[in-house]
Amino acid sequence: MIRVENLQKTFAGARGEVHALRGVSFEIDKGQLFTLLGPSGCGKTTTLRCIAGLEQPLAGEISVHERVVFSSASGVFIAPEQRRIGMVFQSYAIWPHMTVAQNVAYPLPSGLSRSEISMRVESIINRLGLGGLADRLAPNLSGGQQQRVALARALVAEPQVLLLDEPLSNLDAKLREQMRFELKALHESLNITTVYVTHDQEEALALSDRIGLMDQGALIEVGAPMELYTRPAHRVTADFLGSANFLPATVERGGNQPWDEILVTSTLGKFTAKRSPEWQPGMAAVLFFRPENVELLNGGDVSASEPNHGSALVERATFLGNSADVMLRRGEIILRVRAHPTRVPRVGERVGFSVAPESCIVFPA
Amino acid sequence: MSVSPSTVVNELQIKPRSLARNFSLRALIHGLTLVVVSYLVVVPLFMLLYASVKSTEDKLPFESTVTSLGNYAAIFTSPSMLPIFLDTFLFTAGSLAVGLPVAIGLAWLLERTAIPGRAWIANAILVPMTIPSLLSAIAWIQLLDPRAGLVNVVLRNVFRVTSDNGPFDIYSLYGMCFVQGLRLVPSAYLMIAASFRAMDPSLEEQSAMAGRGIAQTTFRITLPIMRPALLAALIYFIIVVIESFDIPGLLGFTARIRVLSTAIYWATHSEVGLPDYGLASALGAIVLAAALLLMWIYQRLTAHQEKFATITGKGYRPRQISLGVWSGPATAFCLCYIFVAVLLPFVMLLWTSVQPFYAVPSVDSLSRVSFEGYLNIWRDRSVVRAMWNTTVLALVTSLATILLAVLVSWFVVRRQRTGNGLANYLATVSFLPQCVPSIVIGLAFIFVYVRFPIPIYGTLWIIALALTTRYLAFSSRATTSALMQVHGELEEASQMSGAPWVKTLRRITMPLLAPAMINVFLWVAVHAMQELSIAIMLYNPDTVVVSTMIWSMWQNGRTADAAVLGVILIFLSALLLLSAQAYSYFRGRPKSQT
Repeated sequence: MIRVENLQKTFAGARGEVHALRGVSFEIDKGQLFTLLGPSGCGKTTTLRCIAGLEQPLAGEISVHERVVFSSASGVFIAPEQRRIGMVFQSYAIWPHMTVAQNVAYPLPSGLSRSEISMRVESIINRLGLGGLADRLAPNLSGGQQQRVALARALVAEPQVLLLDEPLSNLDAKLREQMRFELKALHESLNITTVYVTHDQEEALALSDRIGLMDQGALIEVGAPMELYTRPAHRVTADFLGSANFLPATVERGGNQPWDEILVTSTLGKFTAKRSPEWQPGMAAVLFFRPENVELLNGGDVSASEPNHGSALVERATFLGNSADVMLRRGEIILRVRAHPTRVPRVGERVGFSVAPESCIVFPA
Repeated sequence: MSVSPSTVVNELQIKPRSLARNFSLRALIHGLTLVVVSYLVVVPLFMLLYASVKSTEDKLPFESTVTSLGNYAAIFTSPSMLPIFLDTFLFTAGSLAVGLPVAIGLAWLLERTAIPGRAWIANAILVPMTIPSLLSAIAWIQLLDPRAGLVNVVLRNVFRVTSDNGPFDIYSLYGMCFVQGLRLVPSAYLMIAASFRAMDPSLEEQSAMAGRGIAQTTFRITLPIMRPALLAALIYFIIVVIESFDIPGLLGFTARIRVLSTAIYWATHSEVGLPDYGLASALGAIVLAAALLLMWIYQRLTAHQEKFATITGKGYRPRQISLGVWSGPATAFCLCYIFVAVLLPFVMLLWTSVQPFYAVPSVDSLSRVSFEGYLNIWRDRSVVRAMWNTTVLALVTSLATILLAVLVSWFVVRRQRTGNGLANYLATVSFLPQCVPSIVIGLAFIFVYVRFPIPIYGTLWIIALALTTRYLAFSSRATTSALMQVHGELEEASQMSGAPWVKTLRRITMPLLAPAMINVFLWVAVHAMQELSIAIMLYNPDTVVVSTMIWSMWQNGRTADAAVLGVILIFLSALLLLSAQAYSYFRGRPKSQT
């Protein structure tokens, strides 16, 4: 397992110090695939490099499988080459002057016999589908092959932990999808504790056991993919994962238990929403629901008084093949709706819509 | 969480001792690099400034206890000094007036026009780079000596002039400017052609689309855009000429014209009286200040130049202007340059080397052609010693320089490991020798080693150290730009594979830098072999090298021997440079270094 506690890191920037990490803490269970997800510059790669030992944090503590590799309190800093961590870099960093086999054999301890080295290299090369490429020089490999070589090199010495820094970002879309499945299968068969850094939410949702969402040097929240997507606890999470509608609202009826039903009023009408305790009537809030949870109603006959129902004008409708992207407007408010492709409304038409209470979440304004 | 057995095994395999060792090793080498670079660059310059404010009547600078600006006052009040500054100015302006227009013309013709035989001409232009300036000067004396110079004799015969003097006199300011100007052409051509190449051709094409002709485009678009680059080249070559020692040393000696660099030499190698180290160091400090100022301007200009519309890395070939009826004159201009700057001096030198004593080529002297000079010269023990010393010097200097350059550039480029402050210090200090004229480096090294308790004064090592200082700037620049092409993740991947710093350096960084390192190695070796101004300040009869040998042979009237040794030196240099060419040719396409 990996434990990161209150990690702080600053960089010297052009205009003074930049606070790259502001007290990041999380734990990863043994064998889990944990993804650090966030926009570029959020600190996810810095966190990964701190675990690797390639960056020295300002403060905090990192332990890998019960071994403290960094601790500002007790002055411990284990060099990266002593941490027994495998890592795949964003650029793959395949050494261009070495063959595939030489690249892969490099991390093996120097004490091994020649036959054992070639056995282990061959086994990992075959496992990653690189058979027959052992004597190829790195520049003569395709992007996908380089990626596999980087993986083989990271895994050959059987590290306790695998770090992946945006490993799929340099591949084209089709290959990326294929490698995503292969990575998942590889992780399931090896069961190695893995930290995965990406800015691609689809990748994160598809691969991870748990996701840590980062923003501006802080870890916003941690959870399983489904949990984070359907019940985000923070507006940042809701905004970053998938697409979102946010409406300014005022609380009418509050609650004090988690997932109590509360009632809010917005320009589009009254909504019953779920989420979080401690809402008092009169408080300013932001109502959130996803475009795919909005249902368009037949005809414009909508009783606006009924909670979670409303009506608006169709501003734009774009056919996307397997769905349609519809934009509704009411005054200054724009709503995005993901509609069924066979039921695309006409532009200028007035349509009614509804959103189920369990799909509505209220965040502090 | 319970500790699994595999975790325990892993813990046992980690050797805490090697951890401490790796870390301190990198820190140790970093510290050593800082100390060595400071010692090579900062200490000599400090000693030079220190010596310049010591009153030195009949004393070595360090025996004096009086600190004063007397040396500077003497320079600015003595009537004998004014001509030196004036002649330095005229020599610099004259050489640039000869060299730069030729270089700009050649660069424009070869980069922008459809001149026939481009590749052939472009290579021929660079040939003089293998010939040391000392030998150019000797060759031109053979050609333009007012009495016996070949060109003068031929001209007098053709025009039936009865006088035995003239019409040309190489021992003059004009002669010095002419030879020095020609010397500048190859490197100035390279620099200016590179800026032509870096210019986005669509800027010119846009002018053509706007209905402007070649002349309008050239003068209203091309040259204004090139102005920062041309100005930078101008500044750069001012420094080069101020630093030049060989040509003003040889031609100016007979002409009794002294420029700053030769004045420093003659102040310490006076034919009458004691060496005046105070005067020399004050002159050195003045030259240094001028060069630093010029280099600062140069840096500002080139930094600005990058902002200008220059694009590199695209595989375009600019549209080539067809020369039409001007094709003939243009080719004639190029051939004329090649004949005057390349063929004439080299053939003259060859001719001199196969004649027992100097004679104008004629049927009579043709019968005396003999290659005995090339055999007899080895009977001179000091020539053998000079050959051996030069070999050792070139080898030691280039090895030391490349090692230091790689370390400097590693600590500069991978600065996030060591911090910005030290990296900037290292980058600045290692570049500083670029603006210290060689003769000043030689002088400064005298001060350091006369004073310091390291017993290498009068040995070959002091010359090697001074040369290493001189070439550190170029070499570390070259390896730095090569290292910046090597993605940092390539080294980090090695670290994550469990390799300590030294193993990463040896197995990953060095092999990836090998092409750049080999080129720098050969460049330094050739320059160290040909270098005169540092060696002449620091050599003694035991540590004579080929360049100083040629210098003293010439001073002693052994013209043919000087030519023989010169031709050998040129061939050795050409051999090294060709091997560099062959190396990059056979390496083929550079591998991508993602």
